Amino acid sequence: MTATLMERRIRWSGLLIVVGLLLQMLTLPLTHPLAFVGFLFLGCPLVAAGMLFFLYSLVAHDTAH
Amino acid sequence: MCLPLMNNTSLLLTLFAAIAAALALLTALRPELTRVRGGKILAFMALCILPALAMWAGVNEHLERSTSTQFCLSCHVMADFGESLHVDDKSYIPAVHFQNHFVPPDHACFTCHTDYTLFGDYKAKWRGVHHVLVQYLGKIPKPEEIKLYTAYNNRECLHCHAGMRKYEEASSHHKNPEMLSQAATNQLSCISSGCHDTVHDVATLKDVTFWTPKGNGK
Repeated sequence: MTATLMERRIRWSGLLIVVGLLLQMLTLPLTHPLAFVGFLFLGCPLVAAGMLFFLYSLVAHDTAH
Repeated sequence: MCLPLMNNTSLLLTLFAAIAAALALLTALRPELTRVRGGKILAFMALCILPALAMWAGVNEHLERSTSTQFCLSCHVMADFGESLHVDDKSYIPAVHFQNHFVPPDHACFTCHTDYTLFGDYKAKWRGVHHVLVQYLGKIPKPEEIKLYTAYNNRECLHCHAGMRKYEEASSHHKNPEMLSQAATNQLSCISSGCHDTVHDVATLKDVTFWTPKGNGK
């Protein structure tokens, strides 16, 4: 069965979130400025991008109908 | 890098992020699950609610941890400033505050180097991010060349000292009758008016002796 456009978007948003969360998990045990910056400027934007892309896919799907 | 044993909060947050990541991965690998109602709910939880919670909790944890002395001193350039907290000389203001626990030893730097204003914490954090960028991308100054961005504001001293009996009744604070009011309005600086002017003085550290806590001191 082929994946629909929305499912492909969900896949991408899921992957972005997974990578972002993994980065956040890596930085959580570290008490170091670089860990703080990595969390804030890499982990958070990736997770936020995944969440926004997922929400966009919902809105775009709704509009298409 | 500082790799302490993970405290309970970090452990819980890492576990939470791991669960959120596992669910997001499941949704990413099996997006067809969203064709049924249960899958839609799972996707919303995994791709929206849980990551948002993990991110919010992580930001809070990192912000809290970034106020620790260990965090500030983890940059090499700050090592001398950390040493200056152990100088065995009562005229060194940071040392006397640190050694007598007038400031919490675990949050010594942040206690004095944050602005006690509405957005003081965030301004301090923003300056910290700038310092990290300089540390990795810029030219690192020598410790003795490091200066404050602006003159030290008495407000930060008076956050604790204002109203304190020892502060108000000290004979040295009554050399002239206007002294306390001038200090309160920042017209007379506590640290640069020939009064408490020995602060970190990292340039002279090689000539001083150091105090080491006995017993199980930090």
